[in-house]
Order: sequence, then structure tokens, then C-alpha cells
Amino acid sequence: MVVAAHPLAAQAGLKLLKKGGNAVDAAVATAVTLNAAEPFASGIGGGGFMVIYLAQAKKVTVINYREKAPSRAFPEMFFSEGKLKSEWKRTHGLAVAVPGALAGWTYALKKFGTKPLSEVAEEAIAIAERGLTISQTFSAINKDEYEKLILNDGEESCYLNHGLPYEPGDTFKNPDLAKTLKTLVLKGSEEFYKGDIARKIVKAVQNKGGVMTLEDLARYEPVEQEPLVGRYKDFTLCTLFPPGSGGLHIIQLLNIAENWPLKQWGPNSPLYIHHFSEALRFVFADRARYLGDPEFMNIPVQSLLSKAYASEIASKIQPDRLLNSYPSGSFDERKDETENTTHLCVIDKNGNIVSLTQSINHFFGSGIVPEQTGFLLNNHMDDFANDPDSINAPRPGRRPVSSMGPLILFKKQEPFLVLGSPGGTRIFPSLTQIILNIVEFGMSLDEAIEAPRFFTHSSQGQAREVHVESRIPSSVIQSLEGIGHKVIIRQAYDKYFGGAQGLLILKEKNLILGGADSRRDGSGAGY
Amino acid sequence: MLMIIIFNLFSNVLAQNVEESLPSFEQPILITSAGQSAEVQLASVLAKRAGLEATLSKLATVEELTDKKTLVLVIGASLKGLGAAGLDVDEEKKRVRSLIEEAQAQDIPLLCLHLGGGARRGQLTDDLITSFLPSAQMVIVLESGNQDGLFTRICEENNIPLIAIEKTIDVLDLLKRIFPSKGAERPESMPWETITEVQTGSRASFGLGSV
Repeated sequence: MVVAAHPLAAQAGLKLLKKGGNAVDAAVATAVTLNAAEPFASGIGGGGFMVIYLAQAKKVTVINYREKAPSRAFPEMFFSEGKLKSEWKRTHGLAVAVPGALAGWTYALKKFGTKPLSEVAEEAIAIAERGLTISQTFSAINKDEYEKLILNDGEESCYLNHGLPYEPGDTFKNPDLAKTLKTLVLKGSEEFYKGDIARKIVKAVQNKGGVMTLEDLARYEPVEQEPLVGRYKDFTLCTLFPPGSGGLHIIQLLNIAENWPLKQWGPNSPLYIHHFSEALRFVFADRARYLGDPEFMNIPVQSLLSKAYASEIASKIQPDRLLNSYPSGSFDERKDETENTTHLCVIDKNGNIVSLTQSINHFFGSGIVPEQTGFLLNNHMDDFANDPDSINAPRPGRRPVSSMGPLILFKKQEPFLVLGSPGGTRIFPSLTQIILNIVEFGMSLDEAIEAPRFFTHSSQGQAREVHVESRIPSSVIQSLEGIGHKVIIRQAYDKYFGGAQGLLILKEKNLILGGADSRRDGSGAGY
Repeated sequence: MLMIIIFNLFSNVLAQNVEESLPSFEQPILITSAGQSAEVQLASVLAKRAGLEATLSKLATVEELTDKKTLVLVIGASLKGLGAAGLDVDEEKKRVRSLIEEAQAQDIPLLCLHLGGGARRGQLTDDLITSFLPSAQMVIVLESGNQDGLFTRICEENNIPLIAIEKTIDVLDLLKRIFPSKGAERPESMPWETITEVQTGSRASFGLGSV
């Protein structure tokens, strides 16, 4: 079974499974196809992480193909005359980090897959050539990011329809991307990192003021890592070590939640949202204090994940008021948080599993498309901290902290839940809410994913607003406001909160359930 | 006369009457946003293609109305856009309100556009629509953004011509029509057979293709 953010991508993964491919083959096929079908969220111009469960060995491994800062990056690179140039982090050549997606996919296929890239990329190439029908989601995002595309790719952009955003029902073709993928199939990933495509990437980045070089691309390598493991009651959770922070924070939140009478409170009750919000504010403070690229620093992972530390935080939270005092950090408050990223899950007939989250950061990334290649370059340099003194400040070769948290949850040593989501800093709060919806509140996977969500954070030790989907009852909102929360009401199903994809494996019932988020164009496919 | 027009939906009638009934606006124009959604950039590109003398200022102030003959307000709230501009909704409403008041004082007509469709509706946008639409001399809305008839209702109540378009690109020809004096000339063979007119009280048929 495959679940992904676009039905064509899910079908591409399923096709590989039917042809005898394993979960890794199908996951990469789905990931490449998302580049064609959901190009605004991920692709070869970006990076990501995959958590792989190898059923026979009963082993979990992680491939980290997060982008890296160019060798000429430095902590003050986004400052001019002492002032932060925010646009340099988002829509400028300096915003582009060295992409890792293709290297990660190639590594995964070579080590764990059974099919060549030619077979795996087949559907992606076909879709890019024949086109696909534009959905409401695609159209709305295309319109939202129009200014960036006009700025960096012009009215002739392959991501615009004669210079205007695509409308629902239009057909979107990307022959340049098809040609690029065909070239990669023929010449391999070396072409992307050392060949003509590499030269086009560097030219495009430097033309927009960036500092990436051919050497940066040639040096890029993915990393295979042990999973980060946490426990919640009878469950074991396998996810990412930093710089993917989402998994770590999910475990932190679950550890804190172990101290609460959740069933008594009920899902999305005022007490639940209040306590969860306060816990999130502590977690965000930790994120600012401790999270960076572990290749270059020591992160106190075990301390952050200790049950004692979680109990300490839980005991500080008051049921009837906001603390408004959380360990202070330098978390950069973002008032223009965007939606982004994509997630997919695959399980094959032998029980091998892949939980994969990848991104080009903001929707349509930097908006920069290397000449006649059809793919978008990321703006993941924006995930470095603004503060040059931050542990997560940009430095040569570093990977910026990510909120991604693809995970596999085990129940009594057996895979139970495969889950992940896009959504920037909302990723780990949303995934934790989904997990609790299932294991504490007894919801089905679909109910758990579709349930209304909320999000908040802290900045400089102060509580920030609670964002809620409008389906949260007004009585609950009034209760939260009575406690002291400032509440911002968002759309009923708001992409701001991500677009989770999941698989629920009910071994005792010999049943696998797929769940795809209606906040995006999520879809599942199985046989 | 109240006029509600569905543009590019049907295949006959009343073309000439519709054209004659369309309000006319003058250039130069000032294009600004109410809500800081990306559609303001879209309006600017379309105005440029229509050959209009237009200035885009997403955070326009009353001073920028000097020498302008029309104010174009592109309505659509984006928390992302507001955040990037460093504004909250109340500040944005205050800015737009002062702009409209100054335009009224100078007899500068207001043309309102809503190009975000259904995806750009919601509590914040609806608040902007109900606040500012009644001041408009004409309203153009992407049909999918008026499924609940909010634009129809406000325009009916305030006797404002409302034009519903099926696709964003349809704005281009409309702009050429309603800004006839400079730059763009009215094309000889405009496909008026694709326009029809729906009179007051026909809300039920609005956008459903069943006049």
C-alpha cells in the first residue's frame, strides 16, 4: 500500500509494488512522481529524510538527504549593513541550499532497492510529458506563490500558464522536467551533481546572487543513520535524529503527555488544548536553545528525551492560566509562516516500510528554475536561524534544522503506525495530535488525520497565539480565551497544519489501513 | 441600474446592451491590496497586459492617490502576506479605509476585484469584503469565489454592477473594455456572445448557467 499527497504519485508507487518492487523502490517511485505531480512541494531541487523498516532483519535505518549550506555560507550572510534581508533567505540565490534528494533516492535504491532508476522514474516522466489536471489545491498554491514565480522565473515560467497561475481543470505539462529525468536515467545522478545539470543549477543560483559552486554540488553526500527511538506507554517510536527535529519533539511531547489524564479530558477539549499548547511552548524553547546540525555540535538528545525532564515540564503547567515564562531562547518568530513539504508512506507485501518526508521548503521553493530543467530549487537556507550567534546559524556544509519527522510507531515490536506530514513547524505538533487521537482517543486513522488541529509556540519566553481550525467549537475557543490564550481561527481544513499521510497496520485483523489528508490532495493506493 | 453579469458562461444574447451598460473608468490607476494576498500581483500583470497606465502599491497610502483617476482594490486576506508586510488585519483595514475615504473625497472611483476564488474566502477575507465592497463602483469576482452569493447580495443591496468571471484571464478583456480611453482600444471582435445579463433577483441562477 502507498499513501501520498497526490493520487498519481500513489499509483506510481503501487505500480512498482505490483511489478515486484519492494517498499524502497515504490517509495522512490512515489517521491520522483511527486516531483511531476506535486512539483510545488518537493523534488530533485530539494531534500528530505526517509525512515526504512527492514522486515526480515527487524531493523530500522534512516537516510538523511537534507540539503547542506554552500561552502561560502557564513552566519551573517543574510545581513546587509547590519539589517536582516529576509527576502535573501526565501527568494534569492542565497536562499538555495545544496540539494540532496536525488543523492538520497539513488543511495536508497542502490542499498535497499531492487529496481533501477529507469523503472522507478517511468511514471514521473510519463506524467510530466502527458500532463495532469490541475486541482483546486495546485491552483490555489500556484496563485499564492505567483509573485515569487514572476520574480525569479518570469512570465515564461513552466509553472505558469502563459504567465498566469493555473486554474482548476487546466492541464499542466512539464516537458523540461521529463527531459531532465530522462537525462538522469541515462547518465545517473553524477549528471546532476557534476554534469551539465550541475552547471545549470550553479548558473541559476549565482545569477540570482547566490554563492553555490560546482564543488558544493560535487561534494554532496547523503548520510545513513541510526533511528532516534522513543517510548510512549507500550509503544516504541522510530524517527530521525536532528537536524530533523520533528521526531525528537514528538517524543518530547509524548513524554510530557504521559503525565496527563488524556482520556478523561477528551480530544480537543479546553484542558487538552491548553496543556498541549503550554507543552509546545516549552518544546519550542528547547528547540531554539539546543537544535542544530549534530555533525558540528553536541545536542543533548538523551536529556531532552528523558522522562524526568518531561515530568518536570508537566508539573510546571497550570490548568487555569498561561505560565508566560518558558525557558527563553532565540527562536525566530515568523509571522509569515508558509505551507510546504510532502510526506509518503509505503508498505510492501513482505512488511518492509518506508516513511519519507521531503521538501523544497516553501511551496515553489525559491521560485528559481535552472534553465530548461523544469525543476524548482529549494529555499531551505531559510531554515537556518536569523541570529548569527544561534547554534543553528548558517555555516559551510551544515544542514539546517528541520521540523520534519517521518516516523514508524511499533506496538509490541511490530509496526503499528507509519506517519508523517508536511507543514513546517506545525509538523511535530500535528503528528503528535494524530498519534494521541489514535492511541488515547481511539479514533480510526482517517478520523485522527481529519480531526481539527491547533498549533502554538513560544518566542523569547513568551506565549504566542493558538491557531485553531474553525471546526473547533466556539465554546472551546471561549474557554481557551478565558484561560488567557489569544486564539486565531483558521480555515476548517487548513493547509497551514500540514497534510499528513499514514498507514495503520492492524496485524491481529490482518488489515492495513491507509489515511491521506484532505487538507491537500492526499490519496492512497493498494492491492 | 443594478447589473449582474456572468462573463464567459453562456453562448448568446444581450451583448451590445451589456457593453453599453458597463461603467467606464479612467487612467492612471492605483492598484492596491486589501488583505495582502498574492492576487494583487496578478491584477498588476493583467493591467500591464491590458496596456493600462497602472501603479502597483501593495501598501498604498493616501498620498499615492495624487493624480490617479481610479483606485483598484484587490480583496483577499493572506496571513502570510499580512505577516510579511508586518501588519495585522486591523491595521490593514485602517489603511484601506483611509485610502477609500480619500478616494471618495477626490471623486476617484473604486473598482474591487476578488481573484482568489473559493480558496481565498474565509472569515478574514469575508470581513474585508463586507467592509469595503459597498464603496465600490464596480466589482469583478472569480465565479468560484461567489458560490455562496456573498458578492451578489452586497452588490444587490448597494446597486453595484457585479461581473463574475470564470477564469482569471477573463479580467484582461474586461479591463480593456472599462478603461477605454488610454493604451488599450476596445477590440473589434470581442466575443460578446459569451456574455449574458442577469437581472436583479436572479441570484438563484447566478453562476449556475440556467438563466
